[in-house]
Amino acid sequence: MNLMADILINVVIAFLAGSLLLGLHRKVMARVQKRPGPPIVQHLIHSLKFFFKETAIPKTVSKVFYIGIVFILALIWIVGVIVGPVAHDSLLILFGVYAVYKIVEHNSGSSSGSPYGKLSCVRAVLSAATELPLFAAIVFVYLVTGTMNIGEIIAYQSVHGPLIFSIPLAALMFFMLIITKSPYSPFAITKDKALISGFETEHFGFLRGFMLFSESIAWYVMLWVFLTIFFGPLTAVGYLVGMIAISFITGFINAATPLLSPNHSVMTQITIGAICFFGTVLMIFTGVVA
Amino acid sequence: MVNQKITCIILLVLSTIAILACLVVDFEAWIVYTVAIFGIPAWVLALGLLTMAKPKPEDAEERVREPFTGY
Repeated sequence: MNLMADILINVVIAFLAGSLLLGLHRKVMARVQKRPGPPIVQHLIHSLKFFFKETAIPKTVSKVFYIGIVFILALIWIVGVIVGPVAHDSLLILFGVYAVYKIVEHNSGSSSGSPYGKLSCVRAVLSAATELPLFAAIVFVYLVTGTMNIGEIIAYQSVHGPLIFSIPLAALMFFMLIITKSPYSPFAITKDKALISGFETEHFGFLRGFMLFSESIAWYVMLWVFLTIFFGPLTAVGYLVGMIAISFITGFINAATPLLSPNHSVMTQITIGAICFFGTVLMIFTGVVA
Repeated sequence: MVNQKITCIILLVLSTIAILACLVVDFEAWIVYTVAIFGIPAWVLALGLLTMAKPKPEDAEERVREPFTGY
């Protein structure tokens, strides 16, 4: 297939599947809280609807930055689609994508001129603690498989079995990242409702729709990477079942857990990350991991 | 506002041509990746800035002076 066609198809699949999975996530949360909740397609409809909503650029914003940061958010997750589902390239590039995502959160808040956005921007710096478990998980995958290339990791698992069985604590660290990035997460300190919508507060109308478009792709890419590097070669049905299951699980966790304060959020993430890190090191050096 | 509209039209046309060219011709992978990474977000951004509803002239000043509204 033509490479551009492959990329476009994957971007459209990522947007549609990501939107529906986030809609499902919201539905699960509502049902846990004994509410009917919006239809599963609501997130998708919201994203599209915002493209035609009245949009104005507030006087307080830094205009180029304010619009540019939305462009960068889409750009980095399209890189994620290319590196992951399209090219099966290096995990390090995906780590870079995630690091830039943190910068987007930070700069989106600071470009808005809103006190809510600025406070969210400061919290984005604090929440960089989530990158440590992600980096540690990638290092452990490398130590076990000897490669960072996603294609080679898939090939390794087709011979030796899924990595979830050999380095489960590294998988748990990665799962922590997914929980952190899921909507209404206990660790979502940058989008605390006390800050309205956090760094997104001043991005409304079309720009909000564009952000929702990128966030849907981000959710799909993160689930795809998790399933691929820990559950081995999967069929399309396997990915579908896995993504629905993870959206269900994170929905339950988020519905039943209150938002933590910033210091508790960071300390909890670091503590779980440290336990998983030393646990995996112990498993490797005691020969539990082959 | 007129400048923004012209910039968006130029961006939309350029990104559409670049994406279509990559669909028709088999360029080297790095060229296609570059066009996809910059072209797809540019296409959506330009299209969105053109299609978004603008405030009525009498409301425009109020909208930009009224920050922190959320959506």
